[in-house]
Amino acid sequence: MFRYIIRRLLILPLIMTAVSMLIFAMLSLLTPYERASLYVQDISKRPGAIDSIIEKYGLNDPIPVQYWHWLVGRKDANTGEIEGGILRGNLGWSKTGKATVWEVIARRMPATAELAIWAGIPMILIGVGLGVISAVNHNKLPDQVLRVISIVGWSIPVFVFGLLCLMFFYARLGWFAPGRLSDWAMQVVQSDSYRVYTGMYTVDSLLNLRLDIFRNAVSHLVLPSVTLAYLNWAYMLRLTRSSMLDTLSQDYMTTARAKGLTERLVILRHALPNGLIPVVTIGAIMLIGLLNGVVITETIFDYPGMGSFMAQSALSLDVISVLGITLFSAFILISGNLIVDILYGIIDPRIRLD
Amino acid sequence: MQDLLDILNLKTHFQTQEGTIHAVNGVSLSLSDGETLGIVGESGCGKSVTMMSLLRLIPMPPGRIVAGSAHFFGRDLLQVSDTEIRTIRGSQIGMIFQDPMTFFNPVIPIGKQVAEPLEVHRNFTRAQALERAAEMLEMVGIPRARDRLSDYPHQFSGGMRQRAMIAMALICNPKLLIADEPTTALDVTIQAQIIELVLRLREELGMSIIWITHDLGVVAGLAQRIAVMYAGYIIEEALVDEFYANPQHPYAIGLLGSLPRLDANGHKRLVSIDGLPPVLTSEPNSCPFAPRCWLAMERCQRENPQLRYINDKHRVACWVDIDSGKER
Ligand SMILES: Nc1ncnc2c1ncn2[C@@H]1O[C@H](COP(=O)(O)OP(=O)(O)OP(=O)(O)O)[C@@H](O)[C@H]1O
Ligand SMILES: [Mg+2]
Repeated sequence: MFRYIIRRLLILPLIMTAVSMLIFAMLSLLTPYERASLYVQDISKRPGAIDSIIEKYGLNDPIPVQYWHWLVGRKDANTGEIEGGILRGNLGWSKTGKATVWEVIARRMPATAELAIWAGIPMILIGVGLGVISAVNHNKLPDQVLRVISIVGWSIPVFVFGLLCLMFFYARLGWFAPGRLSDWAMQVVQSDSYRVYTGMYTVDSLLNLRLDIFRNAVSHLVLPSVTLAYLNWAYMLRLTRSSMLDTLSQDYMTTARAKGLTERLVILRHALPNGLIPVVTIGAIMLIGLLNGVVITETIFDYPGMGSFMAQSALSLDVISVLGITLFSAFILISGNLIVDILYGIIDPRIRLD
Repeated sequence: MQDLLDILNLKTHFQTQEGTIHAVNGVSLSLSDGETLGIVGESGCGKSVTMMSLLRLIPMPPGRIVAGSAHFFGRDLLQVSDTEIRTIRGSQIGMIFQDPMTFFNPVIPIGKQVAEPLEVHRNFTRAQALERAAEMLEMVGIPRARDRLSDYPHQFSGGMRQRAMIAMALICNPKLLIADEPTTALDVTIQAQIIELVLRLREELGMSIIWITHDLGVVAGLAQRIAVMYAGYIIEEALVDEFYANPQHPYAIGLLGSLPRLDANGHKRLVSIDGLPPVLTSEPNSCPFAPRCWLAMERCQRENPQLRYINDKHRVACWVDIDSGKER
């Protein structure tokens, strides 16, 4: 097990390198002129500015050379100092975020993590719970009803559902608002008397004993988390249902009943630990996968997290930001998958990781 | 001897797409205290369904016990409440199954699974139950059982798993052990060991046994009485010696193998049964074995024979007298 983890950790840098090279290769699709123009305001009034930027950042260099510079940094012709270089811990300056990429990640990651938690945990609990109910009542009324609901849920795309929610609850009813907090709450949060612990408003507000802020944060989270989780809970339900049905038809269920266990114990002790094995692993992968969904969801709800930032940077051709965020997400994704594998080895005694 | 179990006219059906499958068609059997009964028959003849019906372990739907009674210690297992049948399962009637791999829960340690009936029926604590499980596992011949309580089923060999299954079925000291082809999935030497083990345990614990098998050879050394099933019917039943010395039903003779027999014309011939047993979708009005029977007569085609005594230790359901080849 230990050796397995080490080996997986050793692969990590390889994958990261491959990912970053891939993105860099895509750079060749943009001309240096296009890339430089992002950094110049009012291009028509400052001729030559673009050329100097191309010069300054070496945008005319061959792509492999640029990649190398991006890795280890580049000596500035004027000051003679080495700038950038992600191997030196420098992800670069984000034009879109008007801060270093690290600062942007530090500011926006808690928002996204908060959204993912609020979307993910109810999604898993509801999806799994309903899936178990469906399987235990196989082909009876609850099962039929849930099947219809999950199929309908499954067939509506995220953005359609999100926009419908927005139109109905926000524009029509005015119940929930976009963004992360209302203005008054934002002022409180940014004031000196309010301490920041995690950057997640729902957590910090409780630690600061500010229930009003908590309520405000939750009301902003409801729509995006429901939208984000929507597809997934329907999938979770179907997965749990089929996995539980499979387990319930296994021979060892008969053994458990033949031992005189009550139906409740048969389900709790003998069916769930087996039926939930694939659910746990896929649920965890899905939680990580939520991070993909945030790009659309955060954009729809104007929610200032990593996803909406990613969308903004990509739309304004802010290569440095896109690279930094992608690399960071790849890291999260890969380590998340490693955790899932280890988890799998723990919950299923038949699996030996080596 | 007092009857421990008395099954009368048990009928179990399954509702399927193709229609109603008549899996068990009026089985009557009795078992006295301390006795071992062997039930023999081809695959699909209803042996398992009969036993599962007793403990009401048939999946319902699609299954349904349509008729019959099964008195065990004076109580009708088919009529008692759900709670009551649960207190009998695993406590007074233990059951072991064909494939000890699939019938053990793969993600629960063996020790916990073997100990579980004690927690459910005898209010043992987990620790007491595990202690007793270790003793029981030693008793069925698993060395250093205490160290192996936390092993998972896949860490046991096939033979050891079946031993553990036996320990699990007997841990509450039941009056009756139902063994549903417990050696079919094992290789021959292990089979012999398991049978020897059951013989020893029967000696020590004194339970009655119903032993289901395909194999007439296996059951000869175990059972006092043998019942042969075909298409959901008991078609022959006799004490062991009588059965092997004087089998009556053509199907039983076929099962017993290539024994030389007289056919209807008085010629000696080797018997083997071709074809497959039928799956009944309605009550037959002919002998269900007639299509495969080399002795079938006109009467066999229009009337299903009842199980009848031919002497005080032998019952058979056949129109033909095997020794003369004529109608009885
Ligand atoms: N759940 C079920 N649904 C439909 N039919 C069933 C079901 N269980 C059993 N049957 C039918 O009942 C009949 C008897 O099956 P049973 O399992 O008792 O046979 P068996 O004598 O135990 O055979 P084997 O030696 O293969 O175990 C078969 O025809 C089978 O198709
Ligand atoms: Mg069977």
